[in-house]
Amino acid sequence: MEMDRESGKLEQIVSQFRSKILHVILNSRVPSLHHHYQQQEPLSLSRVRKSDKWFNLVLGDRAAALENLNFSLRNLLDPMIIDIILVHHSSCSSSVDNLYTPSAAVGSPSDETVIERWVVQYDCARVNATPNGADTSSSYKKTYKKSIILLRSLFAQMRLLPAYRIFRQLSSLSQTYNFDLVYKVSSFSHPFSREEEGAMKEYIFVPVEAFPGRLCVSVTYRTSLSEFNLEPLVSLPSNIITDYVGSPTTDPIRSFPSSEKGFQATSFSIRGARPPSPSPFQRPHSWSSGFHKGLPLMQNQSLAGSPPAYRTSPKPYDVVSPQSDIYGNRIRNRLPTLQQATAYDEYQLSPPFSASASPSPPAYLSGANPVVAHHCSETAPVTIPFPLTGRNSFYLSLNSSDPSRHSLPPLSPRSSKHDASSQESPSGIRSYRKLEALRAGESPSGLSINYSAHKMVRDTKDDSGRFSGLLSSSGSPRIGFSRSSSRLSFQDDMDDCEFSCPFDVDDIDVSDSPASQNVEGKKALDFTAQSVPVGKKSQDAAVGMLVHMLRTAPPLRQDPSCYSTHSSKTVGYEGGVGTASGFFMPCKTADALEELKSYREMRDLLLSKSGTRVVRKEEM
Amino acid sequence: MNCEVCQLKELEVEHFEIREVLRCILHTIVFHRALGLVRPKDVDLELFEITYVQCGDVELEKKIDEKIDQFISWVEKHPNKKSQICLSFYEVKSKQPSWFTNKTERLYWEQWYANLNVTQQPKQHSSKSHLTKVVVDPGESANEERSSRRAMVEASLREVLFQIIKFVNEKKDHVPPISEGVIYFPYEITMPRKFQ
Repeated sequence: MEMDRESGKLEQIVSQFRSKILHVILNSRVPSLHHHYQQQEPLSLSRVRKSDKWFNLVLGDRAAALENLNFSLRNLLDPMIIDIILVHHSSCSSSVDNLYTPSAAVGSPSDETVIERWVVQYDCARVNATPNGADTSSSYKKTYKKSIILLRSLFAQMRLLPAYRIFRQLSSLSQTYNFDLVYKVSSFSHPFSREEEGAMKEYIFVPVEAFPGRLCVSVTYRTSLSEFNLEPLVSLPSNIITDYVGSPTTDPIRSFPSSEKGFQATSFSIRGARPPSPSPFQRPHSWSSGFHKGLPLMQNQSLAGSPPAYRTSPKPYDVVSPQSDIYGNRIRNRLPTLQQATAYDEYQLSPPFSASASPSPPAYLSGANPVVAHHCSETAPVTIPFPLTGRNSFYLSLNSSDPSRHSLPPLSPRSSKHDASSQESPSGIRSYRKLEALRAGESPSGLSINYSAHKMVRDTKDDSGRFSGLLSSSGSPRIGFSRSSSRLSFQDDMDDCEFSCPFDVDDIDVSDSPASQNVEGKKALDFTAQSVPVGKKSQDAAVGMLVHMLRTAPPLRQDPSCYSTHSSKTVGYEGGVGTASGFFMPCKTADALEELKSYREMRDLLLSKSGTRVVRKEEM
Repeated sequence: MNCEVCQLKELEVEHFEIREVLRCILHTIVFHRALGLVRPKDVDLELFEITYVQCGDVELEKKIDEKIDQFISWVEKHPNKKSQICLSFYEVKSKQPSWFTNKTERLYWEQWYANLNVTQQPKQHSSKSHLTKVVVDPGESANEERSSRRAMVEASLREVLFQIIKFVNEKKDHVPPISEGVIYFPYEITMPRKFQ
C-alpha cells in the first residue's frame, strides 16, 4: 500500500520533471515562447500557481504549445527528445542547390541544422535494489531534492551553451534575421551523421535516482555556431508613423468625395440633424446620431491617431469637424488606411497589435462595419497616434472668433454680440426661442410676443439632442454651462434643455456697462418680436440677450426705488422701469408700450413665482 | 557528514573585473544551493558575453555585493597578491548546552573557494599608461592584446561556471534536506588569510 503511494508520487515527480525540463529548454531556446514568457506579469512568489511551484522553479505560465506537447508525450517510459533546429531562410539558395548540399557538413551551414538535442529519459532498464520500507518514504523526497538540483544546473547550463547566444540574437525584437530557431519534440529521433557528430559534443547530467529507475538527461550540442552567419535583415526601428497616408495606387477609398460633407454633417448629426444618405464608400452606421453610433467616427478619429485613451472614451461633442482644412485633409487622406486598419484589426494579431504587446484594442473595433472589411488592403495596420492637439486645435477653431469661448460660457452680451455676427445656425432660433419660452413662462400675455414659444419649447424639447449639439458646435464650455443645475423652478420643465439655467451666466459674466447690456437685451427682444433675425444670431447671443433682458427687467417689488444700481453681474436692474423701457429702444412708441406691458406681465409672473429670490438678489 | 570542498580554477583578472567575475561566480553557486521557491533571473555581464542566473533574492544580492566590496578594498590594500573568497554553506546545530555555554554550532557541509589573481596596476601608473597610450597611440596591437586577454578571461570564467555545474551535479548526497519556507541554506562569505 505504501509502496503504491510512493510509486504514485515518484511517477508524478517523473511526469512533472519532464514537463518542467521541456518548459526550461523551450523557454531558453525558442524566441516565440520566450516572448510569451516575458509578456507575463511576474506574480509574487506567494501567488504563483501550484503547477508552477514544481521543483521550486517558477517559470511562468506555459504556452499552449507546451501544454499540448505534454499531453502527447505522456508515456513516461518513452524518451523525450527535444531538437533545437536552426533554420536558415536563404533567399538566394534554391531548392536544387540544397539537394546537393550536405545537410550538416562541418563548417557549412545548411537550411536546417540541429544545433542541440536534449534527451530526457526515465531509465528503468537498470533496476536498482529494492529499498526497504524505511527508505521508501524518504526516497521520493531525495529524488525530488536531487531533481531540483539537476534542474538548477540545467537552467544555468543552458545559458552557457553556444545556442544561447543565437537565441538571444533571434529574440531581439529590434532586428530580424534570416535565421530562426524552431524545435521538435518526439519520442524518437534520427541519429546524427558522422559529420554532425564530429561537430558536436555531449554532456550527460548525473542521473537522479528515482526508484525503480532513474532520471537521465543529456545534451548533444554543436560546439561552434560561428559558421552560421546571422545577418540582420533590414532593421528599421519600430516606429509609429504619425502621418501615414497609405499608397494611393492600392487604396480604392482614397478619394472620398462625400467624406467632407459627411463629416460636416456629422458634426451636427449626433446632436440632431439627420445625416446625409451615406455614400457607397461611407459606412452606413458611421454618421448616425447617438452616443454609441458615433463611435465609428471616433474610430476614424482614433485610428487617425488619437491615443488609446481617447478611443475608449468617446464623447458626443468630441466629434471631428472638417472645418479645419488641415484636419479635414488629414481625415480624408487617412480614411482609407483607417478603414483598412480597422478591417485588419478585426482579424487581429499583427504586431504591434498583438493582444499582449499593444494596449488592448477597443472593443468596438471588432464590430467594425462590414463595408469597411471589404476595403481591406495590403497595408499593415499601424497605430497612428492622433495628436490630441490636432483635435483640440480643431475644436478650438470652431470658436476662433471669440477666444473667451474657450474658457467661459459665452453668454455675456459682449460675446453674444460677437456671436451674432459670426455664428449662423438654424438651431440658434430654437435656442433663443427656448429662452423666450422660459421668460414667458405660463403667462398668457406672453403669448403675444412669444406665440411660437410654446411650440418652440416643444420643439426644443424634441430637439434637445440637437440643441445640445449645437451648443457644442460653437464651444465646448457651453455644454458644461448649459447642463449646469437649474436655479429657477420653471427650468425643471426644461431639463432636456442645454441651457438649463441661463442665470448661471450671472456668476461668470464679465462686467459690462448696463447701457450696453440694455441695448443688447433690447436688440434681442427686438429680434424676438420680429421673430426673424434671431436666426442669424447664435444661440449664445440669444441667451445672453435674454439674460440681460431679465436683468434689466423691472423688479418684482412695486417700489421702483428698489431698482438701484447693482453690478451688472448680479442684478442688472438698473434704471428701473424707465430703464427697462429705455433698454429696448423700440422703433415705435406703440411697440414700446406693448413691450412695457409684456414686461409688467412678466414681472407679475415672476413675482408670483419667486418673489424671495428677487429679494435675495437685491440684497446682494 | 563530510564537508565537500570545491576549489575553483584560478582566474587572472584585472581590478575592474573583480566585481563582475565574483558576482557571476557567487550567484551561480548560490542559485544551485537556493533550493527553495525561486524565480530565476538572468543577468548579463557587461564585460563578458556571459549570462548567469540569480535566484532573485534582494537580500542575498545585497549581502553578496557587500562582501565583494570588502574583498575589493582588501585587494587594494594588499596588491599583487593572490586572493581567495570562500562561500560556505552550513547547518546550525545546537551544541549540548553546558553549564557555561549555550552556543550553536555551525556544521559546514560545503565550501567553495574562488581563486583570483588580480593583476592590479597602481592608480598613478594606470593613469599615466592611459595617457601614454593616448599620446603614443600604439595602434591595433594593444587593442588586440586587450581583446585577446578579455577573451581568455571570458573563456576561463566560462570554465569555472561549468566546473560549478559539474560539481553540483556530481555531489548531491551531502546536501541537507530542504526546509519549508527557506529559500537558500545558511551561508557565509569569508576571505581566508592563507594564500599560496
